[in-house]
Amino acid sequence: MATRAIFLPQAAEFPASNYAQITVINERPVLAFDASTAETVRWTCLAPQGLTGTLTAVVTYMMASATTGKVDFEIQIEAVSDGDATDLDATTSFDTANTITAPTVPGTAGHIDQFSCTLTNADSMVAADYFRLSLKRDATDATNDTATGDCYVLAVELRDAA
Amino acid sequence: MAVLDDTTRAGIVAEIMRQLSREAESVAITKPELRAAVDALDSFLDTNATAINNAFPAAARNGLTTGQKARLLAWVTLKRWGGQL
Repeated sequence: MATRAIFLPQAAEFPASNYAQITVINERPVLAFDASTAETVRWTCLAPQGLTGTLTAVVTYMMASATTGKVDFEIQIEAVSDGDATDLDATTSFDTANTITAPTVPGTAGHIDQFSCTLTNADSMVAADYFRLSLKRDATDATNDTATGDCYVLAVELRDAA
Repeated sequence: MAVLDDTTRAGIVAEIMRQLSREAESVAITKPELRAAVDALDSFLDTNATAINNAFPAAARNGLTTGQKARLLAWVTLKRWGGQL
């Protein structure tokens, strides 16, 4: 696998409502995803040359207070190629959400964990596409998101099959 | 007085989680377990509201508003067991 992009909190973009808060924890920028409201952030990038195969996103996070339970996230991709008829000033066209097997949070708040999400639904992204990655904590999923309190996302890595 | 409605109980759970997150205070139970605790306490207070009211001396029982008595109960509870608002 090859790393194709790294998304950090400072570069996050926010929808009009229900977005994770960017904050600083111990001098580290994080995106704080609420435990009760499903919140979303996005990043924009150009797909790098050489991109190949199935994409995977690896999310690095820590919990603010929870030491038990699971967190659940979904990732969506919107990819626009040169010449596409997508009207960017009026349309969003994210592909179907990619789900994960919800990880159990670390037993100590503040310890990091990483989970991966296979982006089966990547909106047919190819090199040079203008794309957005959308990350949502599925906080209202009573089965798969059981950890209390905020989940702090530290970084998201995009990998391909190279 | 009836127990709190579902929305209010869920709001309590959401607010306490936000407070604990801000304070980076470890929480070793899950969201469903926290919600069950809120439900149980609310039901207990509903069942025992008359007994709690009767625990106030007459002057306070008759002179304080319901909200003021609730605030007093909250503060005494927090001071006894180390919580904070």
